[in-house]
Amino acid sequence: MIGPVIALLLQAAPLEQPIPDEALEARAQAIMRETRCMVCENEPVSQSTADMAVDARRAIRRQVMEGATDEEIRDFFVSRYGQHVSFRPPLDGWAILLWGFPFALVAAGLAMFGMKLVRNRPSGLAPVSDDRGDEVG
Amino acid sequence: MIAELGHLLAFLALGAAVGQSVLGLTSGGEAARRLAVAGAIFAALSLLTLIISFVRLDFSVELVAAHSHSQKPLLYRIAGAWGNHEGSMLLWCVIMAGYGALAALTMREGKLRDRALGVQGLLTVGSFLYLLFVSSPFTRLADPPFDGAGLNPLLQDPAVALHPPFLYLGYVGMSFVFSLAAAGLINGEIDRDWARRTRPWALGAWSCLTIGIALGAIWAYYELGWGGWWFWDPVENASFMPWLVAAALVHSLIVTEKRGGMASWTVFLAVLAFCLSLLGTFLVRSGVLTSVHAFAVDPARGTILLIGLGLAGGAALALFAWRAPQLKAGPEFDPVSREGALVLNNLFLSVSAALVLVGTVTPMVLQWMGEAKLIAPEAASMSIGEPYFQLTLAPMVAFLLLFMPLAQAAPWRKAEMTPLLKWLLPSAIIAVLAALVALAMGGWGVFLGFGVLVGVWVIAGVAQDILRRAGAGGWRRILKLPLTVWGMAIAHIGMGVFVIGATVETAARTEQTFPLAQGQSAEMAGWSFEFQGVKIVDGPNYVATRADILATHDGRTELLQPEQRSYPVSEMGTTEVAIRKTLGGDVYVALGDQLRDQDGVWRIRIAHHPLIDWVFGGAALIAVGGFMSLAARLRRRSAANAEAPAAPTPEPAKPEAGVGASA
Repeated sequence: MIGPVIALLLQAAPLEQPIPDEALEARAQAIMRETRCMVCENEPVSQSTADMAVDARRAIRRQVMEGATDEEIRDFFVSRYGQHVSFRPPLDGWAILLWGFPFALVAAGLAMFGMKLVRNRPSGLAPVSDDRGDEVG
Repeated sequence: MIAELGHLLAFLALGAAVGQSVLGLTSGGEAARRLAVAGAIFAALSLLTLIISFVRLDFSVELVAAHSHSQKPLLYRIAGAWGNHEGSMLLWCVIMAGYGALAALTMREGKLRDRALGVQGLLTVGSFLYLLFVSSPFTRLADPPFDGAGLNPLLQDPAVALHPPFLYLGYVGMSFVFSLAAAGLINGEIDRDWARRTRPWALGAWSCLTIGIALGAIWAYYELGWGGWWFWDPVENASFMPWLVAAALVHSLIVTEKRGGMASWTVFLAVLAFCLSLLGTFLVRSGVLTSVHAFAVDPARGTILLIGLGLAGGAALALFAWRAPQLKAGPEFDPVSREGALVLNNLFLSVSAALVLVGTVTPMVLQWMGEAKLIAPEAASMSIGEPYFQLTLAPMVAFLLLFMPLAQAAPWRKAEMTPLLKWLLPSAIIAVLAALVALAMGGWGVFLGFGVLVGVWVIAGVAQDILRRAGAGGWRRILKLPLTVWGMAIAHIGMGVFVIGATVETAARTEQTFPLAQGQSAEMAGWSFEFQGVKIVDGPNYVATRADILATHDGRTELLQPEQRSYPVSEMGTTEVAIRKTLGGDVYVALGDQLRDQDGVWRIRIAHHPLIDWVFGGAALIAVGGFMSLAARLRRRSAANAEAPAAPTPEPAKPEAGVGASA
């Protein structure tokens, strides 16, 4: 008789307990930091004291302990609240452009730099020291 | 009377700015100069009248009634004058007119000065029109209240009181850089002399912007109660974009000044820096985004700001398109040279600015498209936050820092890669060892290891560069190195310190919320914390709930007292965290709420922020380095003026030629 009562009490306890395993807890906290608190102003659930944030933290810890992947936990929130809930933009569709364009720009810049190095590299130039930098020629 | 006087003075400043722009752009340089000074004095006096109204708590002025209160301490009554939309726009106008006056008083006579004053006059006119017709701070109330509505208590803080002035010194400082660019384009002279005269303004504005951003980050760290110093909030990004472009600008200006190269790119950056400042102002002031900072929600204001941005940016870009093809290309250089390294610096910095811009604006554009029914509502909701910016920006910063020591030591025009790399071998070894130590100390992953690697690489590279420049002269010679060299060295060390601090803090911070009842303890990061309950304490204009927490570490115990403050006037609360500084970082304790269903049990949030002071210290070093470079420029100029009558002396040839010179 007393066993189930204690179990019930434990379940009802609103305390936020960290996951004993440090690696899992660190993963849970990383996900909390990139999940938006939907009732707050531009805050992740890791920071907020709002009820939604408390519930979300608990849900994240529970799923991490149940062995869900980061991806599955993100999908859990996105399917309920929309893409807005995740501070991490998806890596599919046109959003690949969003992730990729800085690297494409740098690659293009480096390629132009390399072309100059290989193709029409100027010849016969002599170095100019700091102090003589002003002497253009 | 005083508000009406301020209103009148603002109109006088507007009039002076109209005259300044017309005369400066035609042929009345000397008159434009006087009007610029007079306008700045009018504008400053106008701000002074507003400050007096705030200090004297004149609640018949609408702005004072809305943003001040009789219980507010004096410092925040003064800061309250710019802690709101209208007042901050007046501050903007004052600083803009002030830069014009500073130029009028310090710049050498000539076409560049006159045209720049003219363009600055146009920008000042636009700012004052915006101030006087859509955000006047001088409006009176017919029926003044007995007391004011108070300031947002989150903003009742010294860091945030100084944050707007520095931010605006940076943002608006870019306006004069813009004016110089426009003037140079009108004159068709974007040359070495133009760059020499523009660089101090860019350095000053950029350094002030650095301080302004750092103050905002410090404030967020200790005031918002969760220990974050940067959240990639659009408001923060709004100030970071012009900072990145201005950082690229102060480097490309070196190439233009020393070698006459990259002229059209440099002038483009000069235009862009101010356009992004305006865009940032638009984002913050228009209410297009919802965040703690954006306290002005008025679409009309936003629209007018956007039109102003379009006019200034469009006109400057048209000028650029017209003149840029006529600009002379600089002398040829080998890709492996200091010029080449600075080109790469500009590549990484401008791509960084682009990704911050796109990441900030995309969610707003999507939301707008969703509301206009152009796309489906599911597609319109997207957040772009920390994961995106960290993953895309970190490689850019890593590249930037990898090339930094090379840029410092390479000679102009042509360098040899092999001797340069051989010479830097000690720095590379130190950096790799430091990264291995960091990785061995905790399992924090590749991100942290790489941050430490590039940070230490830069710091060691600067040290090697200083030793190289001193040559055989030893310590004496080191102390006598030119101020420009020290400015660069300190700013670059600051960058290394910042990157180490930022990556270690981000990767290795720990935080935990403990629900504690009186007498219970929690353990974290080698400390134990015993909660001894809360008490109610009265403050000057708030009531505080203060927790007593006994923190024990290494057998020594001390009392930490985090608070929650409640401000009855504004019906708002703030968190005052308790921070215990240690050599390795901060122990950070915040008092949360009492649990709803358990009386006497409080959420106590405890965090450890390793190397957090390196983050702010690094930013401070960057700003100090910028100011030192600026000071070197001014000193050299006054020396040149003193020597002006004499015949120009040929510069003595010095032996050092940089590493990797192929002579």
